[in-house]
Amino acid sequence: MLTPVARLLLRRLALAVPLVVAVVTFTFFLIRLAPGDPAAILAGDAPTPEFLAQIRAEYGFDQPIWAQFLAFLGKAITGDFGVSLYTKQPVFTVILERFPATVLMTGTAMIVASIIGVLVGVASANRAGSPADAAISAASLLGYSLPGFWVGQLLVLVFAVGLDWFPATGMEAARASYTGWRHVEDVAWHMVLPVTTLALFLLTLIARFTRAAMIEALDQDYVLVAEAKGASRGRILWHHAFRNACVTTVTVIGLEFGAVLAGAVVVEIVFGWPGLGRLFYDAIYRRDFPLLTGAFMFSSMIVILVNMVSDVACALLDPRIRR
Amino acid sequence: MRDATLSVPHRLTPAWLVRLRSTQTATVVGAALVLIVAIGVVFAPILTAADPLALSSDILLAPSWAHPFGTDDLGRDTFARVLYGGRASLVIGLFSAAISVVVGMTIGMLAGFFGGALDEVLMRITEAFQILPKLLVAVVVVALLGSGLTHEVLVIGLLSWPGTARVIRGRVQVIRHEEFIAAAEMSGASWLRVLIRHVAPNVLPFLLVSASLQVASAIMSESFLSFLGLGDPAHPSWGLLLQQGQLFLSEAWWLTTFPGIALAMTILGLNLVGDGLR
Repeated sequence: MLTPVARLLLRRLALAVPLVVAVVTFTFFLIRLAPGDPAAILAGDAPTPEFLAQIRAEYGFDQPIWAQFLAFLGKAITGDFGVSLYTKQPVFTVILERFPATVLMTGTAMIVASIIGVLVGVASANRAGSPADAAISAASLLGYSLPGFWVGQLLVLVFAVGLDWFPATGMEAARASYTGWRHVEDVAWHMVLPVTTLALFLLTLIARFTRAAMIEALDQDYVLVAEAKGASRGRILWHHAFRNACVTTVTVIGLEFGAVLAGAVVVEIVFGWPGLGRLFYDAIYRRDFPLLTGAFMFSSMIVILVNMVSDVACALLDPRIRR
Repeated sequence: MRDATLSVPHRLTPAWLVRLRSTQTATVVGAALVLIVAIGVVFAPILTAADPLALSSDILLAPSWAHPFGTDDLGRDTFARVLYGGRASLVIGLFSAAISVVVGMTIGMLAGFFGGALDEVLMRITEAFQILPKLLVAVVVVALLGSGLTHEVLVIGLLSWPGTARVIRGRVQVIRHEEFIAAAEMSGASWLRVLIRHVAPNVLPFLLVSASLQVASAIMSESFLSFLGLGDPAHPSWGLLLQQGQLFLSEAWWLTTFPGIALAMTILGLNLVGDGLR
């Protein structure tokens, strides 16, 4: 007998696996649909006939289409996304090189946004209808409406170009090569502006949804019972109401992860952060299609994985979902 | 049959709209923001004599009376570029929102009306589309198939319907059990007629909310694509202006500030209107 959580995990896998296959299939047909010879597209501008022939053989463009598709699918799922036209390295190696920088920035932004977003959401639900709550709602709508990369540009204009408090670009000081604690400090210093930019968008979403879920939870009978028993407001808020509302928060984080990753792409461009986002940008500019499609398939798989994790986390948090 | 439909609350009538408008100051503020942008964009040739594409030797000039928003690295007037750039942004926003609302409404109505296996299948597909990183999908599609207004509109429209579909489905599930639907079915109306004549009018108010939020999100998506260099260079949108501004961030603050304000005003205005109507 499987435990309920294991069963849920299997059910989620049953959705995630077809989705990964769908992403790879979509990419395959996209390359075929692109105007021109797929081999020429993968080979980049002005390839030599030998290189074209090599690509044709490598990708099996001389084979029947179903064989090509199966080969592409098999390679993509095992992480073989081909070779970058620009660096000539395997795409997967290039991605793995850049991935830690993106994880560092995106992860920090998500932690910051979750903590502040939950605090703000709970506080404004606690005083729902008050002027402070209205002000928070207005501010979160504003935060949600500002394009992330523009916020980043404004932060650079004010805090880097104008006030010169923080560095405008990069992940570490270019001229000094710090080690140990000084290096950590240096990277943290460079992270302030990009993390603020990326966190702002997620923070407003988390605050909005947490507030709505908290207002609903605070209206339930178990809150009334807790109040009648004389529980403190803090205990009611966090122990009774938030434990029920946090499922919504986790769901939002999971569902918006794709948007956060896309946001990271533009934020990295604004701040010259050496992560996956820069990779996307450079791949577009150099028309390095194996790198672009590889980075796309890799990111999509990460997004699908994070969604699965967030679903399972919801089930662990709320026994009612396990069924 | 039509009398029965009228008795249902939330039907889109002028009185309903007026009541909503009077209760929501935020909606009025939002509508005003959108109106200001719309006037600027529509009457661009009257508001400025400058040509948004005309080069001159006045490069990277700070804002002045002659050039209220300054000039760019090729001596083009930023005020004119912001006004005309809004045309590309708004056209892409409106058309792709139209696609996404039509697709979302169709899928939502079919899933909510028929339920069962069809609902299950359509909702799994909707869920899959919701999980996918839609902006990254759009990036790959436009990068491989070529940039241009049509590609941008199609890609953004066809990727952003799941929200609308879910809202409409939820609403149709409620309407499905109203008496006037049963009455229509009993009088022999086909399912298509019931959907179009009796269900559709009742989801219109929700569609209006979806539509205004969709236009906002589509304009945001377009600016994202343009910022990555995937916009249509023949029709420079606000996102494209911001991409150019990025190159001169430390020299010319005006190239980033003004197109961004126009973009933010539009998106905020549309979100306020959508939120207020809800």
